[in-house]
Amino acid sequence: MTERRTGHVILGINVLVLGYLPAAWQSPLLTKDSFVDPEYWEGIGRTAERGTLDAIFLADGPALGDPAYDANPIKLEPTVNWGYVAGATSHVGLVSTASTTFNDPFELAERLLSADVLSGGRVGWNIVTSRGAVSARNFGLADVPLRDDRYERAHEFVDVVTALWDSAATGQDIHHHGEFFDVDGRLRVPPSAQGRPVLLQAGGSPKGRALAGRAAEGVFAAELTKGQAIEHYRLVKGLARENGRSPDDVKILPGLLLSLGSTEEEAKRRSDELHDAGPASYSIGWLSQSIGYDASKLALDEPFPEDVLAAPADPQTFQGSIGFRESIVTQIRRTNPTVREYLKQTRYTGSGHAGFVGTPEQLADHIEDWFHAGAIDGFNLQPDVLADGLDVIADELVPILRRRGLYRHEYETSTLREHFKGAS
Amino acid sequence: MTYLGLGLSGPHLIELAGNPALLARWDALPLAFTVLGIDRIDGTGPLPLTLDSSAVGASLAARTRRARFLIVASPQRDHPYNLARRVASLGHLSRGRSGVLFGAADAYAPPGERPRTAATAIDAARVVRALEQSWPYDSIIGDRETGILVQSDRIVHIDHDGVYSVAGPLNVPEPPTGSSVIGWYSTGPDGVVADSAPIDLILDADSLWRPDPGQSLAEVLAAVEKRPLRAVLGLSAPARPVGARPAFAVPAPNSSL
Repeated sequence: MTERRTGHVILGINVLVLGYLPAAWQSPLLTKDSFVDPEYWEGIGRTAERGTLDAIFLADGPALGDPAYDANPIKLEPTVNWGYVAGATSHVGLVSTASTTFNDPFELAERLLSADVLSGGRVGWNIVTSRGAVSARNFGLADVPLRDDRYERAHEFVDVVTALWDSAATGQDIHHHGEFFDVDGRLRVPPSAQGRPVLLQAGGSPKGRALAGRAAEGVFAAELTKGQAIEHYRLVKGLARENGRSPDDVKILPGLLLSLGSTEEEAKRRSDELHDAGPASYSIGWLSQSIGYDASKLALDEPFPEDVLAAPADPQTFQGSIGFRESIVTQIRRTNPTVREYLKQTRYTGSGHAGFVGTPEQLADHIEDWFHAGAIDGFNLQPDVLADGLDVIADELVPILRRRGLYRHEYETSTLREHFKGAS
Repeated sequence: MTYLGLGLSGPHLIELAGNPALLARWDALPLAFTVLGIDRIDGTGPLPLTLDSSAVGASLAARTRRARFLIVASPQRDHPYNLARRVASLGHLSRGRSGVLFGAADAYAPPGERPRTAATAIDAARVVRALEQSWPYDSIIGDRETGILVQSDRIVHIDHDGVYSVAGPLNVPEPPTGSSVIGWYSTGPDGVVADSAPIDLILDADSLWRPDPGQSLAEVLAAVEKRPLRAVLGLSAPARPVGARPAFAVPAPNSSL
């Protein structure tokens, strides 16, 4: 019997604009333009700090999906958005997603380190490589480069960024001449309270995990089952060790889609009502994108055909996330549902990211279970509607976790890196 | 000299962001606007320290209520789609108090892929304006009856094909206060600004007060605070009439009893 884990869980919020469900904007707590309203964003930061949460995350992509029925495609630029929230808060970590395919390493290094200085050392960078021709066409490209090339560029991009952050401290120019970048120069930005921003990696492809093992201090993972989560947890910690790092230096934080209620029935009703208020095509569209197959062509009352579940023809050109696809296919193979059953089921269990529908007490049980099973270091919680869902996390879930000794009562540290380290 | 705005350089930005008392004074300055990091594009940089202009703008938007500002940008390394997102996002979060000032070259960044010319920068400015206008704010209706959040058929591609190729639309709507102010900082004859379609405002060394970067921010603020109306308007003291009749005799030294 191994010893019970000490330390506490890390709690982040993945702020999917107004909430992960498309109908979130219909909440009576919101105005028609809350997604660009400074008051809304200040509220998110303040509520997160009331719950002494470790970090708030922003996903990102440089293109617009149709916002007719859903605020999720509408994205204020993350470093500006969190830079604003940093000015209204004092402790919560602020993680911005930024693409290594569509940014320049000098410009991004300077911007992130500046944001880190201005926030008192609370900035994290979630490294993504981006996908999709729609984004590419905003940058004068016909399509994104192949997956392997994107990750080659990502590795070199991260090297240049971290070297530039070092240059800010040493005052010495860097001279980088690689396959993708030539950079001679240095940053003239002062070092931040935590030295430099925290690196996080999102995505579950082998290339993504390799990047995480080498450089990331946090991984934003997608895990549907505890078994798979434990396996991936050990895999990434092992990769960190192979890179001469301590396994504690990389924190694993899967996403968890949430609908909470004061009883399980109430939570399910909330989830159903939100699903029913959103566009019917949403679930099918999401599934199609995730598995790389047009799900509207599937017979709703038949099980998934084998050729749909088989690996995508070419992982290099597959537009979806390999990590999401893998977790979805594993889930389908386990129970062999019909397409309709799967779409209904996943209202409660999540798809891609795991879902959770229940009470704050049950959620605390779930977090405790996965934490002690060695499946996670924490969760990146994704409420259905943030306008009230975040309050339930701060005012109900967090106090339960505190009583169980799984979470701190006050902020004990002030930078994001210290928050992560303080959890061990 | 008459000027509407103040151009702060890198070291001033660090003082401003790090000192709440100075920040409160800056917020109350009787000025049209402040440029955040003019030394990046006016030929005087790089100085020993600075901060990214949009990062400073985001912080100031949250920590002040009145002061207006222009972030500086040169598309030397960044792509205009990314820049347009930051400009539009600042427009929302500052409640319309922000804009962007373009220059041909960024003194703090190594050269990028494209030539550091006015033509490149102006093309980027055109992209920023077109992207901000690609999504009209009043298309956001939030109609709970029909379940329609945005009349998205009113959002358009920009299909820009110049120095940059950008399809659009932007993934941020235009600020409710309208498109962000776009300025151009001219460091010499460049000709391009004659075709100034997206440029709302042209600034140069004569129209922007750029205090010596060696001057402390407190001194700079005091100088602006104390400026009398006549100086702000650039008016010289009016001439006095000569030969008028004295109202009193010349006072003799006062002798006490």
